[in-house]
Amino acid sequence: MNCENVKEQLPEWLNEQLPAAERAVLDDHLAGCPDCRQELNATRQLWQRLENIPTPEMRPEVRTQFYAMLGTFKAEETARQRSRWTALVHRLLPWWKPQAALRLAYSLLLVAVGVAAGYGLQYWQMPPLAYKQQIDTLSAQVVEMRQMMMLSLLENPSATERLRAVSFTKDITDVDGRIIDALLTTLNNDPNVNVRLVTLEALVELAGDARVREGLVQALTRQESPLVQVALADVMVQLQERKSIKPLRQLLRREDTNDLVKAKLAQTIRELS
Amino acid sequence: MDNALMLKVREGDLDKMGLLFERYHRELFGFLYHMSGQPDGSEDMVQTVFYRMLKYRHTFTGEGSFRAWMYHLARNVLADFRQKHKRSAQQYDLANYAEKIAGGLAADEALHKEQELAALREALASLSPDYREVLVLSRFQELKYEEIARVLGTTEGAVKVRVHRAMQELKKFFFSIEQ
Repeated sequence: MNCENVKEQLPEWLNEQLPAAERAVLDDHLAGCPDCRQELNATRQLWQRLENIPTPEMRPEVRTQFYAMLGTFKAEETARQRSRWTALVHRLLPWWKPQAALRLAYSLLLVAVGVAAGYGLQYWQMPPLAYKQQIDTLSAQVVEMRQMMMLSLLENPSATERLRAVSFTKDITDVDGRIIDALLTTLNNDPNVNVRLVTLEALVELAGDARVREGLVQALTRQESPLVQVALADVMVQLQERKSIKPLRQLLRREDTNDLVKAKLAQTIRELS
Repeated sequence: MDNALMLKVREGDLDKMGLLFERYHRELFGFLYHMSGQPDGSEDMVQTVFYRMLKYRHTFTGEGSFRAWMYHLARNVLADFRQKHKRSAQQYDLANYAEKIAGGLAADEALHKEQELAALREALASLSPDYREVLVLSRFQELKYEEIARVLGTTEGAVKVRVHRAMQELKKFFFSIEQ
């Protein structure tokens, strides 16, 4: 053992933590080395004297102050715990460890997979969106078929079939230009008076459309049948269509117009103007 | 035992902090006093340390000892204190003892002892905080080197080296003051 080793063991020696065997070796060295002996003794003396430095007493107020602080803290804490989230976080925080994070992530993943699988299964069994699209497509096809059928039925030689065709327009929700044209053509050209009357009725339903109103006004001069003429005149009053006054006057001046119809036309003109 | 108490505090039983105060406030005061040399400041710091124990109670995991955790917090409070009183940072509060040293009658035994003690205080105060800390923790607080290593976040070997150097320094200061 040399003097360097002695210095290394100084702290344990001071604290009296040095194992007995090592202490014996140290004492051996000290016996034969006055330098070390002197140094260690000086150090030990100082170490022991340190103990003489007194620690003053605390003032008793410190205890009172501590309990006051504790009371305030507790009051603040209960106030804070009213928002339960903070309390939950405080409770959970000590449990927060990296392994726990991994486990939590794993369980969340499992839940997510479960939810995804559940949704997937539902879609697979009854996909609502595709279903709805299919229904939409089908209903659009049905409407189109009705229109087609109506248009072709209007060409049918049988007056009954043509009547049916006109009655279809009531079931067609969005009437397009083709149907209006077909109806106006029927109104002007159909050989059967009944068909023309029904067509007129159907067109009155669609009078919101400007083309329909115009077509009706133009139809006035083209009609030969007194029945249709009177019906048209009524419609003009009903729609309060002032543009019809001119064709009504033309019709009134025509020699081949029925007298009864003329009386009706005169009345209509009066009502409109 | 103390760990169990502190764990209860952490779980919301704040009254248990009262028991820990009764058990540790003197020891804590001793550490702060010997480190700062200021009795009034140390009383304030004791209060601050206990307040921080309450406030940061969830940082106590129970893995280390309560005592090590307490010293860990106390060191932070002490660092803040030093920062705040930077101008008088190294000023050990010697006002009370300076008079006694100045007084004549060196032959008087009691007075000689008093002088010696004052010299020792001054030597301790002259040490750098790092050196003073290991001496205070091992000599006054009677912590084992292993515990000191845990408080300082270093190895036991490093603590021993520091104690050795601190004692060398202390000796140097002490004898230069006494002569």
